[in-house]
Amino acid sequence: MSGGQRNDGAAVMEERIAAYLRDQLEAPDLALSGVERIAVGWSHETWLFDATFTRHGATRTEGYCLRRDPGNALLREMSDLGTQFRVLQCLEPTAVPAPRGYFFEDDPAVLDAPFLVMERVPGVCPSPWGRDGRRFYEEAAARGELPRSFTDALVTLHTLDWEGAGLGFLGVPEAGTGFALGEVAKWKRLIESTGVEPDPILVDLIGWLEANAPATERRSLVHGAYRTGNFLCHEDRVSALLDWETEVIGDPMYDVAYVLSDLNREGTELLSNLVERDEFISRYEAGTGIEIDMEACNYYQVLYGMRSAAFWMSASGLYADGRNTDLRLARTAWSIPVVLDRAARDLGY
Amino acid sequence: MAPDELLARLSSTLRHDIGPAVVEPFPKTQAFMASVVLEKLSAQIRLAPAHAEAEAADLAARAADLPALLGTAPVPAAVAAAADRLAAGEGSPALSALVGALWAEREALGSERFEAVLGRARTTMRARIDRQMEYAA
Repeated sequence: MSGGQRNDGAAVMEERIAAYLRDQLEAPDLALSGVERIAVGWSHETWLFDATFTRHGATRTEGYCLRRDPGNALLREMSDLGTQFRVLQCLEPTAVPAPRGYFFEDDPAVLDAPFLVMERVPGVCPSPWGRDGRRFYEEAAARGELPRSFTDALVTLHTLDWEGAGLGFLGVPEAGTGFALGEVAKWKRLIESTGVEPDPILVDLIGWLEANAPATERRSLVHGAYRTGNFLCHEDRVSALLDWETEVIGDPMYDVAYVLSDLNREGTELLSNLVERDEFISRYEAGTGIEIDMEACNYYQVLYGMRSAAFWMSASGLYADGRNTDLRLARTAWSIPVVLDRAARDLGY
Repeated sequence: MAPDELLARLSSTLRHDIGPAVVEPFPKTQAFMASVVLEKLSAQIRLAPAHAEAEAADLAARAADLPALLGTAPVPAAVAAAADRLAAGEGSPALSALVGALWAEREALGSERFEAVLGRARTTMRARIDRQMEYAA
């Protein structure tokens, strides 16, 4: 770990990662440096490091990112690293900015749990909720390049020939209300898996969502959580989209609604604390040729309320059950009323 | 010292004394989160008696309202069962059951009864979430 006293667990993990990469890269002299478990991400452990090794007589150093599924983290039931690795492989030859996936390992003998190793893409990913992160995005917004890149990356994602890229394995919703109802059913399953009696507002929310699902034939690769904090920025450009945990084939308005919502504005007028609303809409529509469907977006914003409640019920349950000791999960027990308060307002009360 | 006061003091110690002294990012975040959890728990415990009393009164009032709102027309079995649970004092699970039954049976209920009963239930739910927001926000 960087910047402090190492613990034995981290040292052991470092050696096991190094041993794995020596085998995979056929590099017996490989050594790791700068190993750091970063405190971002809720669903998997994330480790960053450099690997130095000899290849064809020359010493080279490459940056890697390893994500490990501890089996007790958020969205464990909804997304697995094998799927994420396959998505990254499908995206590699496309224009979508994403890290290259190098290895996926599901043998628990290696690191006790499945993991994937991917490219460490240059860039930073400031938390949008901290003071430093807010300042980072505000300053980037003022310079103007990152907001354009933010929109352009979404355009690239939504105009991707996902069938040609081989992403049909994610499942293709039926035209009509198939996508919306599929998402409601997905998050309902997560709520049910917690074994917690849902709050009456959540029951009301689900009833409304099931009764008002929008019909659409639009289908794109949808990221599912497109916001600051889920991509890397390098030289004021989006260098890689991260957190491929909620990706789905479906209505691109699902992502657009997330961008347009005030969930991630951090008290500013800027979408995701980064881009002006009118600029985003005009650039997105020009880039994709898709007219933004505000009615569908309004629906999906209500759906995000249900999804957030499901996230936090699952997260706080993991801590309450003793399956995870991360106190960020414990704290989310008090996020549930906050999202339900908002959901009730969305429903008019 | 009352439990809520003790938790509030622990929260403050974590936030102002322990957290800043932690160097590594991950444990530092954990110390801060522990402080937040204790702060919210303290407020929740402090408010719990008043909230429980208000909730019981609200739910009893809803149970009393229901027969008039549902009227004399036949009531779908699921709605009737949920109303009985509410009248029996089963609390918020009964309210959840009622709301779920309303949505599931809205066609059988007809829009007027559906809107009337759901609207009244929403008044209760609004008051309930307002109370929760006193410690969660």
